[in-house]
Amino acid sequence: MLTIEGLKKSYAGHDILKGISFNVNKGDVISIIGPSGSGKTTLLRTITTLEEADGGHISFAGIDNDFQKLNGKDINTIRRNVGFVFQNYNLFNNKTALQNITEGLIVARKVKKSEAKKIALEALERVGLTDRQNHYPSQLSGGQQQRVGIARAIALNPQVIFFDEPTSALDPELVGEVLKVMQDLANSGTTMVVVTHQMNFARDVSNRVIFMADGYIVEQGSPKKIFENPSEERTKKFLTDILSNV
Amino acid sequence: MSLDTNFMVKVAYTALQGIPVTLNIVLVALLISLPIGVLFALIRIYRIKVLEQFVKFYVSLVRGTPIIAQILIVYSAFPSLLNVIIGKAAFDINPIYYAYIVFTLNSIATLTEVFRSALQTVDKGQMEAGLMVGMQPRQTFWRIILPQALISAVPNIANATLYLIKNSSLAFIMSVKDITAIAKTEAAFNYNFLEAYLVVWVYYLIICYSAEVIFYLLERYFSRYRRPTKQTTGFNWLPFSLKQPKLTAKTDLTESERTNHANN
Ligand SMILES: Nc1ncnc2c1ncn2[C@@H]1O[C@H](COP(=O)(O)OP(=O)(O)OP(=O)(O)O)[C@@H](O)[C@H]1O
Ligand SMILES: [Mg+2]
Repeated sequence: MLTIEGLKKSYAGHDILKGISFNVNKGDVISIIGPSGSGKTTLLRTITTLEEADGGHISFAGIDNDFQKLNGKDINTIRRNVGFVFQNYNLFNNKTALQNITEGLIVARKVKKSEAKKIALEALERVGLTDRQNHYPSQLSGGQQQRVGIARAIALNPQVIFFDEPTSALDPELVGEVLKVMQDLANSGTTMVVVTHQMNFARDVSNRVIFMADGYIVEQGSPKKIFENPSEERTKKFLTDILSNV
Repeated sequence: MSLDTNFMVKVAYTALQGIPVTLNIVLVALLISLPIGVLFALIRIYRIKVLEQFVKFYVSLVRGTPIIAQILIVYSAFPSLLNVIIGKAAFDINPIYYAYIVFTLNSIATLTEVFRSALQTVDKGQMEAGLMVGMQPRQTFWRIILPQALISAVPNIANATLYLIKNSSLAFIMSVKDITAIAKTEAAFNYNFLEAYLVVWVYYLIICYSAEVIFYLLERYFSRYRRPTKQTTGFNWLPFSLKQPKLTAKTDLTESERTNHANN
């Protein structure tokens, strides 16, 4: 459904992504793990067009083109077909929880107001926040804000939702409620690509794990393979380090 | 020394006519310079070629010269300029138009800087979130970024307005009949300057105070989304109030409080 080939990105002469290729199938829940600075965030941001790629190819939502040849229309198409859940939530601060969700439906998708509200309420229900619909982001806890962030993404029914460390800005006691929501999404067949440091999520919820380091995909495979029998030395070292820190 | 209170009452009465003039200057200058200020701020933020240089130059020109010099230049340049274009009629123009011009030009510079910093306080994640729900940059700007920037600009707009009100008293130099001018004229008959100036002083105090209250209410209304409303039950110990207030736990500062903290 989504195929990326040879994706490259550099900032000011520093190569951050050095040719990334992978594909996402419908219903996949992919965890991307790797050390800090390995380019995980940059990968999500270039695929979703928040950042311009320097090279590579994308086929997705009817587009089959080099990143650098994408025109305005292609970019709109990509944006319409992806969802993004940010590390620091990025809820619209001047909108209530409900309005955060209806905004994209009404303004971008031209859905009728009453219909948008219905969809938004369903989404809020899925993340268990119906009673907070009229709260502004500043009136919500971090965990609640992130759940609204997730509801905002699913309400638009995108083909794939990208999560960039959705729980790493949260206090430890709030991580669980967000992971629970994500697990429910995964179980209901939502296609997800999740950058995470939550090894439990990667191991127990995803069907594929991608290990990135230094701008490359070092290896990928089923959680069982990556966690129990990694073939690369770097993967082993990363997992030993991170698991011994817990 | 004793104050001639009868005269003060008389001046207070005649100077009343100056209040609408003063308010007019302030309102016209504000209403025109607000949108232009936003536009100029955007030109600077998005570094639009050539225009950016112009705005920078303009702002430093205005900020680097005393307002009195700006008044004198506009007041001497414009009439002779217009004289060339429309002939003698140029000298019959109500001087208040020159006041509009000077104070608008002046406020544009101030507000450009106000909006520039206000727009920069809005996290760039807000724009990205807009794009990721499929909105165009322009839609996100109007619906998400600008409203937040305007609200965080309110305290500084209030400041700029207070300066504008006070500076407008210099309009008398252009023979505009504002509060100051009327009081001066009255005083000139009997040399009761102190009395006249006290009246002027009180009038500006009232106007400025009212402006402050208005801006305070505006800020409180618009920044409601910033304040958590965790309601706590509490007893009202104020002796003369019958109502029990809803107490709101205040964990976030309003913008003016923040600014004050920053200044301290
Ligand atoms: N806008 C930018 N300008 C310059 N360099 C950048 C920019 N964004 C990221 N980088 C650099 O790119 C590299 C990869 O960053 P990225 O945020 O993608 O890493 P990451 O794998 O997400 O790390 P983390 O786990 O800490 O989030 C880092 O060295 C970072 O300094
Ligand atoms: Mg990151």
